[in-house]
Amino acid sequence: MSTLSNLSMTRRQFLGAAAAGAGVFVLGISLPGCAKVDEQDEGVINAFIGIDENGVVTFQNPFIEMGQGTYTSIPAIMAEELDADMAMLKVVQAPHGPEYRIMFNNTTRFTGGSFSVRSSYMTMRKAGATARAMLIEAAAGTWRVPPGECKTEPGVVIHRESGKIMTYGELAPLAAKLDIPADVPLKDDASFRLIGKPIKRTDNRVKATGEAEFGIDIKADGLLYAAVKQSPVFGGSVQSYDQDAVLKMPGVVAVEEIPNGVAVIADQYWRAKKALEQLPVTFDEGDNADFSSKSYLEKLKAALNESGVRVENVGDADEAFSEAAKTIEAVYHAPFLAHQTMEPMNCTALVTKDHCKVWAPNQGADFVAKVAAEITGLKLDAIEVITPFLGGGFGRRFIMDYTAQAVTLAKKHPGRPIKVIWTREEDTQHDHYRPMTAAKYRAGFDAQGNPLAIQITTAGEGPSGRLNPEFLKDPTIDESIFEGGPHQPYAIPNKRADVVNVTVKPVPIGYWRSVGNSQNAFFKESFIDEMAHAAGADPVEFRRNLLTEQPRFKKVLDTAVGMANWKSEVWQDESGVKHAMGVALHESFGSIVAQVAEVAVDDGDIQVVRVWCAVDCGFAVNPAIVKMQMESGIVYGLSAAWSEEITFEKGRVMQSNFHDYPILRPDQMPAVEVEIINSGEPLGGIGEPGTPPIAPAVCNALFKLTGQRVRSLPLSQYTF
Amino acid sequence: MTTLMINGKQYELDAEDDMPLLWVIRDIAGLTGTKFGCGIGMCGACSIHLDGELVRSCMMSFGAAKDKAITTIEGLGSEQGLHPVQQAWIDKDVSQCGYCQPGQIMAAAALLRENPNPSEDEIRTKMTNYCRCGTYLQIFEAVKQAAQLQGEQS
Repeated sequence: MSTLSNLSMTRRQFLGAAAAGAGVFVLGISLPGCAKVDEQDEGVINAFIGIDENGVVTFQNPFIEMGQGTYTSIPAIMAEELDADMAMLKVVQAPHGPEYRIMFNNTTRFTGGSFSVRSSYMTMRKAGATARAMLIEAAAGTWRVPPGECKTEPGVVIHRESGKIMTYGELAPLAAKLDIPADVPLKDDASFRLIGKPIKRTDNRVKATGEAEFGIDIKADGLLYAAVKQSPVFGGSVQSYDQDAVLKMPGVVAVEEIPNGVAVIADQYWRAKKALEQLPVTFDEGDNADFSSKSYLEKLKAALNESGVRVENVGDADEAFSEAAKTIEAVYHAPFLAHQTMEPMNCTALVTKDHCKVWAPNQGADFVAKVAAEITGLKLDAIEVITPFLGGGFGRRFIMDYTAQAVTLAKKHPGRPIKVIWTREEDTQHDHYRPMTAAKYRAGFDAQGNPLAIQITTAGEGPSGRLNPEFLKDPTIDESIFEGGPHQPYAIPNKRADVVNVTVKPVPIGYWRSVGNSQNAFFKESFIDEMAHAAGADPVEFRRNLLTEQPRFKKVLDTAVGMANWKSEVWQDESGVKHAMGVALHESFGSIVAQVAEVAVDDGDIQVVRVWCAVDCGFAVNPAIVKMQMESGIVYGLSAAWSEEITFEKGRVMQSNFHDYPILRPDQMPAVEVEIINSGEPLGGIGEPGTPPIAPAVCNALFKLTGQRVRSLPLSQYTF
Repeated sequence: MTTLMINGKQYELDAEDDMPLLWVIRDIAGLTGTKFGCGIGMCGACSIHLDGELVRSCMMSFGAAKDKAITTIEGLGSEQGLHPVQQAWIDKDVSQCGYCQPGQIMAAAALLRENPNPSEDEIRTKMTNYCRCGTYLQIFEAVKQAAQLQGEQS
C-alpha cells in the first residue's frame, strides 16, 4: 500500500489514539533542551511516529511540502533508522505547538531558509532509531530472548536463531508501554538503504490524480467564500462602500471590512467575486500615494555615495586603491519581484465560541496559530491549524495577511467556515516583494592585472530587518540587504563593504527564494566577470586563480566548467547563430553552487540553451530531490532575470497578472545538467542555493556575445 | 438546475450562465483537481477536456458548456487504472508542489491524442502550461514516456 494524507491530526487526536489503546504506538522523543509541553500529555515530547495494527507508520512532519520534497526526504531519514518500508508511510503535517519546534535548539519551527533537512537530520534519525529499539525490545520480551539476538527488516522484527518474526503493527501496542531508551546507537552510514539514495517522492501519485488537497481545495460543511479587495495604495484604508448595492445579488451573505480593504462573502466564490466587482468602494489612499519605484531607485543610487555601516574590512582598501594601476567601478540594481506561487493566497477559517480551526497554506503553523489567537482572543491550545499541500511557497507564505483576513471574517460569522481566495491580481498587487536593491562595486588592480582591492556599497532595505528584527545580531546591520555580496572566498587582499539602509516603507517586503542572495549574487558574480575582462583574463581562469586557498569552491567551479566543456570564445552554430558561455559561483545556505550557462542571441531573441550546474551541499540525502531543486532554483532565478519586475507608480503596483508579469514558459526552458559533489562537509540547504548563480551566469554570457554589460534586471528591458 | 456531464456522470448544477466552468467544476460539482491559477487563460492550471478538446476552463462559461461532455483530471483514468500520462507522471516523479500538474496532465493527454508521437519540439511548443516550480524538463520526459506507454497499450 501507499498512503499519504496531507491533513494534520491534532496533537490530541494523535496522542489520544495511543491513550485509548487504539493500537497506535506513539513515540515521544525527549531531546535535551527541548521545550516542555503541558502536563496533560504525560511528558510526551516531539511525537513524530505512530504505528497502527496494520503496520502503517504515521509520520508527523514538522516541515510543510511546497514542492521541495520534505514529504519524502524528511520521513526517509526517520524511516532509515526505524527500518520502515517507505510504502507503509503515511506522512501528515504536524500540528502547531512546542513539541514540533525542533530547529535552533528546539526554539522554533518553520519551513524556509533551506533548513528542513539540515536542521532535522539528526533529530529524525534519533526518532527512528529509538522507535526501532523499542520495537525490538517488545519482540525480545515476547519471545523471552535478549534484544541483541533480534534484527529488523523493513516493517518486522526477526529473532535470528529461531526465525521468529513479528510485524511492527503487532509490536506497536507492546512497545508503547516501554520506557523510552536514551542514546540509542545510530546506523553506520555504509548500511543506509534510503539516505543518500534517489527515493521516489511520496506525493507523486496523489499529485498526478488530482487527489492532492491544497488550501484552495478545502471542503467543509456550510462553507462560505470570500473575495477581497485591498487598498491599491499600501497603507491606505477603506473610506466608504455601499453594501446595499450588492447585498441582493445572488448568494451574497455579507459585506465586511477587513484591515486594509473590504470583503464580500457569498455561497459561491464566483458570486462573491462578481458582487465585489460591482461594490462601490472608495479608499483613503493615506500618505503613500506618491511612492514610485523610479524615485526609490534614485534614492538608492544616491545612498551609494553615503558611508553607511561597515560590514567587512580586510586589509586597507583606501591605500590599495591609491596604489592601484587600474580601477574599475560599476553600479548595479535589481527590481522588486513578486513570488507568484501558482496557487494564489487563500485561507479557510471556522471560529466558534471556544475553538478556531484554520486551514492555512503556511510556512509555519505556529505563526498561523499566533495570528488566529490574537484575532479571536482564544488561547493557543484552542487553535487548530491544518496545513494542506502548498501550491508553491518561495517565502510568500511566511506572511499571515491572508490568514488574518480569513480568521477576521470567520470571527464575524461564528460557526460558518469561510474561505478567502485572492485573485491573481490581488496576489500580484499585495505581495511582500523581494526588495529593490542597488550596489556599487569598485576594484583596483596592480600593473600586472592582479586584483588588489574590492569595495562594495549596498543600499536597500531587507526583509529580516522589516519582519524579524529580533533575529539581527546587530540592529544596525541587516544582512538580508547585502548577503551574498561581501565575505567572498576570492583571495583579494583588501576588501571593504558598507551597507546603507534605505527604507522602502510603505512597500511590503518579504523573503523571496534565496533572499538577499537573489540580487547580490547577480551584482557580485557580474562584477567578478567585469574584473576578469578588465584584467584581460578568462573568467574561469580568473576565478580559479583567486581560489587557490579554497579547494571546496574550486572543485565546484571546476566540476561545472568540466561538465560544460568550457569555451572561452564565442562560437557559431550551423545556422550561423552566435553562442557563448558565462559562469557564476556562489555560496548560500551552506551550499556552494557553480553554473555555466550557454546562451545564444538569434536576431535579438535570447535563448538560454543549456545550464550545467555543480553543487556541493555536503551530502545529498536524496540526490534525486537535490537535482530537482537545482533545476527548480535555476528556473526561478532565470524567470526573474529574464522578465520579472514589479514597478510602482502613484503608490500602486503596475502589474497584475501573467500578461504583464511574465514567468518562464516551457518553450524558454534550457536543458539542465546537474552534478552533485558529496564533500562530507556539514549539510547545506538545497531549496534556494540553485537560484542565485543563474542570473549572473546568463548575463556574463550575454556580455561575451553582445558586448553589452547587464547591470540591472530584467533582461526584457534590453535590446540585444 | 442544469444537467452537466462530467467524467461520464450527470451532475445537476445550479449556477449562473456566465459563471466560468472552472468554478462550476470546483465549487459546485466539488471536483477540485482542476485548479485556479490566473483567471485569464494564460497559466493553464484549469485545463480540462470539453468534447475531447483541451480548453482552459476559466475562460469558458457554464452556459457555453451545457451540451458538452467534460473530462477533468478525476475522470482521465479509467476503472482499470490510471491514464498512461498519469502513470508517466508518477514514473518520472514530475511533481514538485503539484498545483499545476493536473492541468499539465490534461494538456499532455490532449496532445498525445492529437499526435501519439510528438517530437521534442512539438512537446516544447504544444505544452504551454506554466509551472512555477520549474518541472518543465520532467514534463517533457514524461510526455515522451506516456507516448511510449500509450503505444504499448494500443
